[in-house]
Amino acid sequence: MAISINGAKILATFENVPLFGTVQITQTLTASWLVMLIISALCIWLGSGLRVTNISRKQAVAELAVTSLLKFVRGNMGTGFDHYIPLIGTIFITSVVSNLISLIGVWSPTADLMTELAWALVVFVLITYHKIKAAGILSYLKGFLDPVFILAPINVLSECFTPVSMACRHFGNILSGTVISTLIYAALTTANNALFGFLGSSLYAGIALVILGGILIGLGLSRKKKRMWIPGAIVAVLGVLAVLTNLGADYPWLTIGIPAIPSLYFDWFGGCIQAFIFCTLTTLFIKQAAGD
Amino acid sequence: MELYQSLVTVNPVTLIAAIANLFIQLLIFRHLFWNKILKVLDQRRQAADQEIAQAKAAHEEADAIKATYEQNMKEAKARAEGILLNAQKTATARSEEIIGQAQATAAQIKVKASSDIELEKKKAINDAKNEISGLAMAIAGKVVERELNSADQADMIDRFIQELGDGV
Repeated sequence: MAISINGAKILATFENVPLFGTVQITQTLTASWLVMLIISALCIWLGSGLRVTNISRKQAVAELAVTSLLKFVRGNMGTGFDHYIPLIGTIFITSVVSNLISLIGVWSPTADLMTELAWALVVFVLITYHKIKAAGILSYLKGFLDPVFILAPINVLSECFTPVSMACRHFGNILSGTVISTLIYAALTTANNALFGFLGSSLYAGIALVILGGILIGLGLSRKKKRMWIPGAIVAVLGVLAVLTNLGADYPWLTIGIPAIPSLYFDWFGGCIQAFIFCTLTTLFIKQAAGD
Repeated sequence: MELYQSLVTVNPVTLIAAIANLFIQLLIFRHLFWNKILKVLDQRRQAADQEIAQAKAAHEEADAIKATYEQNMKEAKARAEGILLNAQKTATARSEEIIGQAQATAAQIKVKASSDIELEKKKAINDAKNEISGLAMAIAGKVVERELNSADQADMIDRFIQELGDGV
């Protein structure tokens, strides 16, 4: 079977738009609006009904999130950058929700390099602002000539690659998760076709499996042996699915449930850790740019 | 037919939209969540500070009250002791006074008694004198055998008794 891994779906194309030329509206945009809606709803929900004493569980969670974020940023940057905390929090929560939204089948906005590049560019502007503020515009520009003026192009490149590397790190990890998920899905579909193509070829094979599984379950339960009733259950389920396939309900059964296991790592863990890394880098770069 | 971008595409519209989205999201995050929670946290900290200050004030007040109480107790004790001492002193003085008075009375009685005794004695002596003078008169009358006028008689007798008395 052919596997194709694509970028965002193009929803609409407008030709000859002034300034931009051909404008393509992609899934990334709509998905990011959905992400924004989710986060805004979450913000409104968590930010409502706040009390000073006798707080609800919801408020405790919200306060824990706020204090953790405060601690995280202050731990990385010190107390002088508190006004950036909402930005870092926004990037973090947007990144996490964007990464995880693929779990409910929506195109993940972070699987489009442009999303991360946008964040990285904003961070880059802040980094540059702090560098200029800390050193003055002249010494900032002079810094590109260090140590020898011939290296100026390399220095400029290295400066420009800060946001590019930040964006690509995040994007690459999410993309790899998407790619691997697609591959696993395809592999499971293929395996499914092979398995049920064989088992489902005759109705009797399926019924035999169901009966065999039933016997194993019955024996295992009556003798209380896990070694018997667990394989029995698997055989019985396979038999039922084989019968269903034979009767025409042709569905890639193996793709139900099983992809959730690698997705634990590639989507949940990878998604959260990339958001965390992006924010850590943001804080560290800004701190570094501002000097001490 | 569904069109897809390739995996890595530079799309300026998406980029600009993503930047705009980030800032809109930032505004929403900050105003609907971040500032609200921070405000509540601040309020709670202020409340806690206030409570601590109040507790401290109450503690100090209690300390002051305790100090005043202790002072009062000390004073009361001192005063009680003073009163007791005073009472003792008064009692002693009173008893001494009473004893003194008794002694004085006794002395007075004694003096009166002795003066009474003296008086009685004098009276007795006088009586005796009179008796003796009468006796002497009789004796002398008998001895002298002569009549003296009563004035001379009395005078003579008195002198005699005087001499006799001095001799006694």
